Amino acid sequence: MASEIHNPRTDIRDAFFDRLYDLAAQDRDTLFLTADMGALSLDRFKRDLPRQFINVGICEQSLVSIAAGLSLSGKKVFIYAITSFITQRCYEQIRIDLCGMRLPVVIVGSGPGICYGSDGGTHHAVEDIALMRALPNLSILNPSDPLSASAAALMAHKSANPVYVRLDKGKLPALHREEEDFSEGLRVLKKGRDVMLISTGVMVHKVFELADELAKHNIDAGIIDLYRIKPINTELLLSYLNEYKKLVTIEEHILAGGIGSAICEIVADHGIAKPVKRIAIPDIPCSQYGDREWMHRYYGLDVQTMVGLILQDCL
Amino acid sequence: MLIKELERKAAAVRRQVLEMVVSANKGHIGGAFSCTDILVALYYGGGLRCDALRPDRQDRDRFILSKGHSGIAQYVILADLGFFPASELETYGANRSMLGGHPDRNIPGIEADTGSLGHGLAIGAGIALGAKLDGKHHLSIVLLGDGECYEGSVWEAAMFASHHRLGNLIAIVDRNRQCATDFTESCCEMEPFAEKWRAFNWETVEVNGHCLEELLEVFSTLGHRESNKPLAIVAHTIKGKGATCMEKTVECHHMVPEGEQLSAALEELARGCR
Repeated sequence: MASEIHNPRTDIRDAFFDRLYDLAAQDRDTLFLTADMGALSLDRFKRDLPRQFINVGICEQSLVSIAAGLSLSGKKVFIYAITSFITQRCYEQIRIDLCGMRLPVVIVGSGPGICYGSDGGTHHAVEDIALMRALPNLSILNPSDPLSASAAALMAHKSANPVYVRLDKGKLPALHREEEDFSEGLRVLKKGRDVMLISTGVMVHKVFELADELAKHNIDAGIIDLYRIKPINTELLLSYLNEYKKLVTIEEHILAGGIGSAICEIVADHGIAKPVKRIAIPDIPCSQYGDREWMHRYYGLDVQTMVGLILQDCL
Repeated sequence: MLIKELERKAAAVRRQVLEMVVSANKGHIGGAFSCTDILVALYYGGGLRCDALRPDRQDRDRFILSKGHSGIAQYVILADLGFFPASELETYGANRSMLGGHPDRNIPGIEADTGSLGHGLAIGAGIALGAKLDGKHHLSIVLLGDGECYEGSVWEAAMFASHHRLGNLIAIVDRNRQCATDFTESCCEMEPFAEKWRAFNWETVEVNGHCLEELLEVFSTLGHRESNKPLAIVAHTIKGKGATCMEKTVECHHMVPEGEQLSAALEELARGCR
C-alpha cells in the first residue's frame, strides 16, 4: 500500500523515507546504508526490510566506497548521514568512486544548510552545493516540501547516475501539487512582474514571507523553487527570466558556489543583461550558536534584512 | 604453469614495465616491481578466475588493485592475457593513451578506478557483500600497498568486512616496508602489522611475496575457504625487486633508470627470463 503523502504537513524527511520504503519493499536490490544516522520513519524500513538496511557505523569514507562496491554488484544503494559529514568527510570517495565511475548511488544528506542550528558550525552544511556542483555526473536534488521530497526519492531511485539529495526535516506545508511532474527541475510557484526570487529547499517557504513583505513596498515578486540544483533546467529558467526586471537568489549556503553562483553563470553564459542580487551566508566561519531562525538573523537571511537588501541594491 | 615458467613470466613482466617506464620517462616502478610476483601468481597461477575473452562474465573473481600506482605491471599482464592488444602498451603515458599512471574501468580487465589510496578495500568489501547477499560464489580480491594502510579508511573497511563475515574478501598487502619518500618503520611504525589484521578479526597469513611457490600455495586455497572471516595475506616484499640498482632504495618509487643502471637492470631481468 502506498505511503500517505497527501497530508500537507507531513514531515519532509518522512515523505522521502516513506516513498523509499515503498520502492525498497518492491525491490530487494535496493539497499539503505547509514553511517549511524537514524530517523523515526526509518525504523519501519529497518524492521520490515532488515536484509536491505545496514548501519556501517560512523565511517563516511568507507560508507561511500562500500556503496560503490555494492553498486558494481548491481545493487541500488542509498547512503545516509548528516549532510556536512556525508559531503565533506568523504568528498574524495564521492568524486572518484561514485562520480568517476558513474555509479548510481544516492547520497542522502540529513539536515542541509543550518538545519542543525545550535548544534553549531560542525553540523552546518553551507558549502555542500559548491562542493557537489563541482562533481561530474552528479545530480543535486533539494526538495522543499513533502511532495517534492517524495518525488525526489522516486527520481533518485530511477536515476542511472549518482544523485545527491539535500534532505531537510520538519513538518512543512505543501508548495507543490501531487500530480505535478517534477522532471522539469524547477517550478514557478508564484508569478510576479518586478523581481524574480529564486530559492531552493526549505528557504522557499521563507521566500513566500519575503514576497509578502515586498508587496507592501509595491514590489510584485515571483518565486521559483529550484528543487533540482544540478543540472539546472537552463532552457526553462531562461524562458521565465525575460518576464522580470531583476533576479534575486536566496539560499542557506555561502555566497561562493551556491545557487546564486549557478544562476549568475547561466545569466553570463547567455549574455543576459539583467541584475542579479545574491542573498546567502557571508564568507565568515560560524562562531555563534542559535536556532535556525536566530541563525537566519545572524547571517542576514531574515525577512526584514532581505527586504532591506533588495530595496537598497536591486530597485 | 610450472614455478620456473612463472618466474620467467615475472621477469618478463618486470622487463616490459622497465621498458615502458623508460619510454614514457615516468612511472611508479618500485612498487610495480614489488608486487609483480603477486600479480603473476594471481593471474597465471590460478588464484584469480578471470576470462580475457569474456571480461564481464558474472562468475569472475573481482580483482581491485587498490595500490593503483602499480597499474603498469597489471597492464602488462592484462595485455599478455589478451584483455587488450599488446600494442596499447607502447602508448603508456602518451597523449590519448588508454593507459595512464593509474588504472580505470575504461581498460578491459580493470574493475575499479584506483589511484587515490584507501578506497579499494571498501569497494572490494561492497562487492563481497553484494555477492554474499545474492548467494554468488566469486571472490573479491584486493591488493593494497603497506603505505596505503596509513589511510584510516582501510581500517574502516577492515572492521566492516569482519563484522559482515565476508569470507569471500581477500586482502593482499604488498608489505615492502616503504612508502613514497621513506621507510614505513622510520616515518610511522606499522609493526606489528599482521597482528593489526588479526586484531580486526581477519584470518591472517604471512608469505614471502617473491616466492611463487608460497604464493601459489596460499592462492590455491582461496576458492574453497570454509572460514567466514575475511583473509589478509601479508606478502613480505622488496620495493624495486628484480633490479639491484633499485631494490630497497627510496628513489625507486619514481625512478627512471638510465645509463649503466638501465643496462644492468635489463641484463638482470633478461637473465631471469631465460
